[in-house]
Amino acid sequence: MKAIRMEKADRRRGSAIAGSRFKKNFWLLTMVLPGAIWLLLLRYLPMFGVVLAFKNYRAYKPNTFWNNIYQSKWVGLDNFKFLDSPDTAVMIRNTLAYNALWIVLGLVIAVTLAIMLSELRRRFAAKLYQTLMFFPYFLSWVVASYFVLAFLDPTSGMIPALQKSMGFKATNFYHDKTWWPLILTLSSLWKNVGYSTVLYLAAITGIDRTQYEAAAVDGATKRQQVWHVTLPNIRTMIIILLIMNIGKIFNADFGLFYNVPQNSGTLYPVTQVIDTYVYRAYTNTRNIGMSSAAGLLQSVVGCICIVVTNAVVKRIDPDSTLF
Amino acid sequence: MKKFLALFLALAMMLGCIGFASADELPTITIMFHGSNVSDDTAVLEKVNEYIADKVGAKLEVIWGTWGDFDQKAADALLMADETVDMVFTCSWSANEYNTFAKNGYFVKLDDLIAEYGADLVKAIPEALMQAATIEGADGKGIYAINGYKDFATQNCWDVNVTLLNELGYTLEQFKAMDFYSFGELFQKAKEVKGDSFYPFLVEPMVLERMVTNSIIVAGDSGSVNLLSLYLNPADVSADGAYGNVLLNKFATPEYKKFVEQMHVYYEAGYIDPALAVAETSNDTRTATQLSASYLIGTQSYALGYEYTASAERGIEVAFVPCTDPYVDTTASQGAMVAINSASNYPVESFKFLALLNSDPYLMTLLNYGVEGIHYTRNADGLIEFTDARASYTPWTNGMGNVTILPDTAAEGAGFRKTFVEYYGGAKGIPSLGFVFNNSDVANEMAALANVAAQYALALDAGAVDPATVLPEFLAALDAAGMQAYLDAANAQLEAYLGK
Amino acid sequence: MVVQSVGRRRPARLNSFSAGAEAVFHIILGLFAAACIIPFIFVVIISFSSEESIRAIGYSFLPQSWSLQAYDYVFAMGDALWRSYYNSFLITVIGTAVSVTICVLYSYPLFRRDFRYRSFFNYLSFITMIFGGGLIPTVVICKTVLGLNDNYAALIVPMLFSPFNIIVMRTFFQTSVPMELIEAATIDGSGEYSTLTRIVLPIVKPGIATIALLNALAFWNEWFLSLLYLNKNMDIMPLQYLLMRMQRNADFLAKNASFLGADAAKAARELPSQTLKMALVVFIVLPISCAYPFFQRYVVAGLTIGSVKG
Repeated sequence: MKAIRMEKADRRRGSAIAGSRFKKNFWLLTMVLPGAIWLLLLRYLPMFGVVLAFKNYRAYKPNTFWNNIYQSKWVGLDNFKFLDSPDTAVMIRNTLAYNALWIVLGLVIAVTLAIMLSELRRRFAAKLYQTLMFFPYFLSWVVASYFVLAFLDPTSGMIPALQKSMGFKATNFYHDKTWWPLILTLSSLWKNVGYSTVLYLAAITGIDRTQYEAAAVDGATKRQQVWHVTLPNIRTMIIILLIMNIGKIFNADFGLFYNVPQNSGTLYPVTQVIDTYVYRAYTNTRNIGMSSAAGLLQSVVGCICIVVTNAVVKRIDPDSTLF
Repeated sequence: MKKFLALFLALAMMLGCIGFASADELPTITIMFHGSNVSDDTAVLEKVNEYIADKVGAKLEVIWGTWGDFDQKAADALLMADETVDMVFTCSWSANEYNTFAKNGYFVKLDDLIAEYGADLVKAIPEALMQAATIEGADGKGIYAINGYKDFATQNCWDVNVTLLNELGYTLEQFKAMDFYSFGELFQKAKEVKGDSFYPFLVEPMVLERMVTNSIIVAGDSGSVNLLSLYLNPADVSADGAYGNVLLNKFATPEYKKFVEQMHVYYEAGYIDPALAVAETSNDTRTATQLSASYLIGTQSYALGYEYTASAERGIEVAFVPCTDPYVDTTASQGAMVAINSASNYPVESFKFLALLNSDPYLMTLLNYGVEGIHYTRNADGLIEFTDARASYTPWTNGMGNVTILPDTAAEGAGFRKTFVEYYGGAKGIPSLGFVFNNSDVANEMAALANVAAQYALALDAGAVDPATVLPEFLAALDAAGMQAYLDAANAQLEAYLGK
Repeated sequence: MVVQSVGRRRPARLNSFSAGAEAVFHIILGLFAAACIIPFIFVVIISFSSEESIRAIGYSFLPQSWSLQAYDYVFAMGDALWRSYYNSFLITVIGTAVSVTICVLYSYPLFRRDFRYRSFFNYLSFITMIFGGGLIPTVVICKTVLGLNDNYAALIVPMLFSPFNIIVMRTFFQTSVPMELIEAATIDGSGEYSTLTRIVLPIVKPGIATIALLNALAFWNEWFLSLLYLNKNMDIMPLQYLLMRMQRNADFLAKNASFLGADAAKAARELPSQTLKMALVVFIVLPISCAYPFFQRYVVAGLTIGSVKG
């Protein structure tokens, strides 16, 4: 509807705009220039590093980084052999399952909270909630892990202490796998939901109020307005954040999986993810090849996920695609 | 918008100019240390540069790596061939592991430099330490780093709270007659006297395991959790152990099984703080508990004179009861070294500096203790007493080089260095001293195995889990991750090494 | 029945949810908000707890005894603390200003359907979200080619651009700026920059505030760049790194205690206590949480009503 209107407008004003088309593109180009230069220097230039995934990097003479890369031997897919380990299935399962679960939960909860916040009549309360919700995002995972520890610590944590005082046997959380999927999920949501809520809320705030008025005139209830005005307006935002999250489905939030379980070995079966495995392996071997290979693998999988999701979205809702 | 580009260019040009400006002066050499706590080095470096200008022909700059930063900084600098880092601390246990990095060409082979400029250095460092640094590197067999003369022998001890021991009605002599498997009654007594929330056995589980089973760290093995083990002969550390010179999967031995079974009994009886069984919480807990002296028996790797420091700190009488004589193994004898980065533009100046640092008491004292009158003063007996300014200048002494040429401090007492030299000079080497496992062919297995071991070993060693079910599971997981291939590779190398 | 009630209480029903529903909202939001703030209160309490209390009963909302010891230590750090505080502020303010400018300038043309190279620059930014050269090659380029070494630029430049924020900002433009408005401005003879600053920016204030907030947080919480790029000039170290360094020291000593023996015990003794770490956390979190309501005012206040009609 909107698009058709715009095309008409284009045709009408076509001649006027055509004259300044070059000028317009030029000025718009100057706008993207700083960002583009940054991207070229800090992102594209280092991409030669991808070759490290296929080389056995070491120092040669003369010992300069470029010469070392140039002279290092090609080793084919040897650097990907870290995948040939019994832990592989576990870490891939954990990475994918947690991410998938949290993408869905995070989305539903954040959108719901954002809508609730936007509908509160007491603006002061809304502001207060919103401010508080964002707090966990200020804290790093290291700090958050202290907090979790304060609850779960086997000697002085609140929960084991409570259990003991009630005459039960204290749960040794850092050696008991059963609770961790729940603990990690709560931690992740606690830390990230406020952030996405703010994003969605900002998008909702940007919605043209006249749309609600029009809906109200048509007799829509508030619930119907949410369904027919709010959600369609933030749909693009939802879908784009969704696609981006799916692109990161192979990358785990390192601090959450490393710091919060206090690096407890017994919990690896439910806390080991690709990032923590690679980190542990890298600190053991300092093998750049392997970490490059792991990074490349995550990129490729992420790329495939994004392209597929984007293609699916394109069929359902062509306006909301990422590209 | 082009401002940004201009900014970049201006920045680059400025840096370029700075580079040129200093070209006609003395070159600057940079050294990266480990474990420092230094926030103000101006006064010290001023003096150092005055002193070394003629002797070395360069100016010194220092990167004061801290415990937590060094691994990342040092490995990054070497891997990216950063020419601005000329010298770097290295050892057998940190991230820029000496043998691996020397083998892969990151360090300068020093033999020629030693022959030309190293006469004083060779006199200052014991022959044994030079040998320990001699390895098969990228440019053939030779010395790739200067080995610091520090406490290079290992001696694991029981850390005994004698005050509490006496309170419980035991003497230190009685304790010395006991062993790990008979501590039970002692612990029970302590629990009765001190109450239920008292944990008498304050251990580093991994260290305890080595103490009880007499196993030794194998250099080149996975650093975080050791997989391989050699067994020491507790009666004579220079003789072969019970299994001879064969590397074993330490978790599959009967000694290990017996040990973890006993630990589980102790754990279940409430003798061990559960926080010690979790990697990240164990150290904080141990330090806090030590300082509050609320333990009976602990583990400690000995350092000469540490019992006095510990007693003073904890407000109790502490005794260290050794399990074996001090022994020298590869790991400890490559405990703190300094190498020259092969990307450095000033290897000769760097070497001259290192030679001087390790043989010249003035320079060593200056760089280590600071400036006399600012960071320390000498008392009537000529012993060093530190001032408050020392707080902003506390490098890690053992990581710097030859500590035997430092003057004694008041805290250590007169004659400390002399005793030190005698004590460590008398330590014997284990039969396979000098062997380093080159794990590059089995790096992927090692990564996988280390992960498996990290999952199980600490909890088992601390007694937190039941070995009856967990140990077989652990061993099966190790097998699946390629333990046999790893062992075979290591043993083939050891045989070849000993055959030489 | 629905029709009836709509007819009777139309204004109230249509402008907001029923009182009951809103009460439920308050409960849900209130609980979640409480869960979010409690950890911080807890951190504050721990920072005021005495070491003895922590040793005796662990972390607790009601410590046995209170103490200002941790803050004494923090203030005793004197210059080092205030300097790192100043550095954090400087980096955050400059970094946020420049990165928001770059972000707006880059994402605005991407929203303009009539920009010829729209798709190219879209991809240029997007691809870097997925593919990268890896840590070491990036650091080598930054150090050798760009001279990011021991200077403030090293702590700012690597974070000036975020493809994620570009997409978020572009989406803000798409959802709140009607193309007609820009066309109208062009016909009136407004230049591209003046259209952007005079007409478009006022409409997307909430978006800018959001991006500014995200960027400010990112700069304020950043410590890894300091680890990578600061070697000799520690005077420009930000506060967050000061804290992380303590944490990393503790972690390292825990891991290598058996190799370091008595050295580790000695070093561990010099490490700051838990309460000191918590006090530093308070210092880190306080400024950003004070700045937050300021950002929020713009997030909420920047309404678009009237822009289209006007």
